[in-house]
Amino acid sequence: MIEVSIYRYNPETDKFPYMQKFEFTPPEREIMVLELLTLLKEEDPTLSFRRSCREGVCGSDGMSINGKNSLACITPLSDVLQKNKIDLRPLPGLPVIRDLVVDMTEFYNQYEKIKPFLQNDQPHPEKERLQSPEERSKLDGLYECILCACCSTSCPSFWWNPDKFVGPAALLQAYRFIADTRDTRTEERLESISDPFSVYRCHGIMNCVNVCPKGLNPNKAIGEIKKTLLLRKESGNELIAKSGGT
Amino acid sequence: MNGSIIWYLQRISSLFVLTYTIWLFSSFRSFDGTFLGWDLLTSSIVFRLFTTITIISILMHAFIGLWTVGTDYLTSRTLGFLSYRLANYADLIRNSYQILFVFLGLIFLIIVLIVIWI
Repeated sequence: MIEVSIYRYNPETDKFPYMQKFEFTPPEREIMVLELLTLLKEEDPTLSFRRSCREGVCGSDGMSINGKNSLACITPLSDVLQKNKIDLRPLPGLPVIRDLVVDMTEFYNQYEKIKPFLQNDQPHPEKERLQSPEERSKLDGLYECILCACCSTSCPSFWWNPDKFVGPAALLQAYRFIADTRDTRTEERLESISDPFSVYRCHGIMNCVNVCPKGLNPNKAIGEIKKTLLLRKESGNELIAKSGGT
Repeated sequence: MNGSIIWYLQRISSLFVLTYTIWLFSSFRSFDGTFLGWDLLTSSIVFRLFTTITIISILMHAFIGLWTVGTDYLTSRTLGFLSYRLANYADLIRNSYQILFVFLGLIFLIIVLIVIWI
């Protein structure tokens, strides 16, 4: 028997959020936290949470599990149980819509701001824009982000300024396009985040690296963006950015 | 304001302060403990210029740091955690806080300049 404590809030009926405790007997086999929630939802159909692929690809079920942001679908229950207790809360820093469901508008606004698509001013080639294997390898560790928001919502800088600080997830994607040799709008991309907040509010706390369920390193990408921004006036942006920010 | 300029200002100012501290302590090694020795050190043009630049660096460094703290923790969002009512006055509180430390910084600068140069 384990004790499951879940953040509950329904703005239509609750004045304040509260923690509801459930007693639960897990099955013999290993289950993920998402399955625990699904089984609890059979007991209490009002319990709300997001889920879709249940295999760590869609990024829908990001939540705070015992204080650490993770994807419920790929987090084994046995890994996170502490003294037979588990605490489930919504991703911190974002407005709660209901129970474990958060309003991700601010997160997506920042993602939209960095223009997460390839921009190329040159004429369209006959077939496709080619890259060498070395150029392509610079995108490894960047393109795999599933936008679960675990990193951005674990970042204090994003908590305090979600409207100004782009956040680790969107900055990882910003660098994915800055580092892409097929993209020709590097200067515009850098200029759009050159203010004191967009990138420079990252103080290297590293929570983003600690929680990323895909094992990515947004902090490294942010460091590369900072380096490119700091050196671009001296040496020419295109050269530095396309050579990998070094 | 460009974020890169602020980044450079903060790092360069800290290097100035570090260099000044090392230089000052190394000057004390040759200090004989007399009033004359102290007067010779503090009345030299190198000491006066270096101290002035360092004081300006300290103030610049402190301003950037305190401004960052203010724009992180004195916003309607963060003050709203304490009280919804307080959140309505976030801009006023943050601006007052900034005016206060700019004012204190200027007083500090004036006093130091008077002590060193006059």
